[in-house]
Amino acid sequence: MRIRPPRRRGGAGDGAGSVGTPGGSGAPAVGVVPPETVPLGDLGTALDEEVTTDRPWLVIVWNDPINLMSYVTYVLQKLFGYSKDKATALMLDVHHKGRAVVSSGTRERAELDVYRLHEHGLWATMEQST
Amino acid sequence: MSSAIRRRRDGRYVVRLDANTRTVLADLARQLPAAIASRDPMVRRLFPPAYPTPELAGAERDYRELVDTALVNHHTQALEVLVATAQAETLSGPEFHSWLDAIGSLRLVLGTRLDVHEDMGVPDPDDPEAAEYALFVFLGELQYLMVEALAEDLPDEGRPEGDL
Repeated sequence: MRIRPPRRRGGAGDGAGSVGTPGGSGAPAVGVVPPETVPLGDLGTALDEEVTTDRPWLVIVWNDPINLMSYVTYVLQKLFGYSKDKATALMLDVHHKGRAVVSSGTRERAELDVYRLHEHGLWATMEQST
Repeated sequence: MSSAIRRRRDGRYVVRLDANTRTVLADLARQLPAAIASRDPMVRRLFPPAYPTPELAGAERDYRELVDTALVNHHTQALEVLVATAQAETLSGPEFHSWLDAIGSLRLVLGTRLDVHEDMGVPDPDDPEAAEYALFVFLGELQYLMVEALAEDLPDEGRPEGDL
């Protein structure tokens, strides 16, 4: 099989397939800092006073209507080394219950996991277990 | 039937797309970095909060300060790889992963713009958003085939540690 694009209508300016960038001309420059330069060891080290450190932090992936189910499963396998069965079960939890805890640990570890999930476009947050 | 996307024995990925499709992908990918850099509201889905509750607003500020530049660069670089290799018949592993990331970003932005939700129907052909919705669906098909090609290499039983 070959993939074909959807039919595009009209000419320039019809908005088909364009990603609008209002005000983009004044955009700040990017690309100055090379990628993958997050000081991972520093993630989450600045603990807020209202946060206690003894209870584990939970990393939560939320249901979103955009990412494909197979993509979410793939990312969970890739990032966390989960089996296909476990990753699929977590993905289905996300899909049916709206959210699932995909990992837990120290605050630093949870922030790192959230960041890696954000890199992959997943809607991930973290919260301290109660 | 051979898939439009597959991993070759030498580790490179074959991507069978026609020239028009490749041009569409490159055009889209070329536009997104400016929208990311200017923080167009349509790219908000690329930057979800880590700490969504108001009482942890300070932690959220720290998180954003720490990761935003890296996150912007990560997504921007993937889009640049897609633009640079849009006409390539085969892709290296890293290039293929950049494509997956870039196409995921494009879907998130298009999906945000179209306000995609789960029980939404296909827009009427006369709907002004029909063409953009068709593009969104097409990118989903592409993402699906890419994930299939990548998932073949993941062990079903998992690993003790994920790749960091």
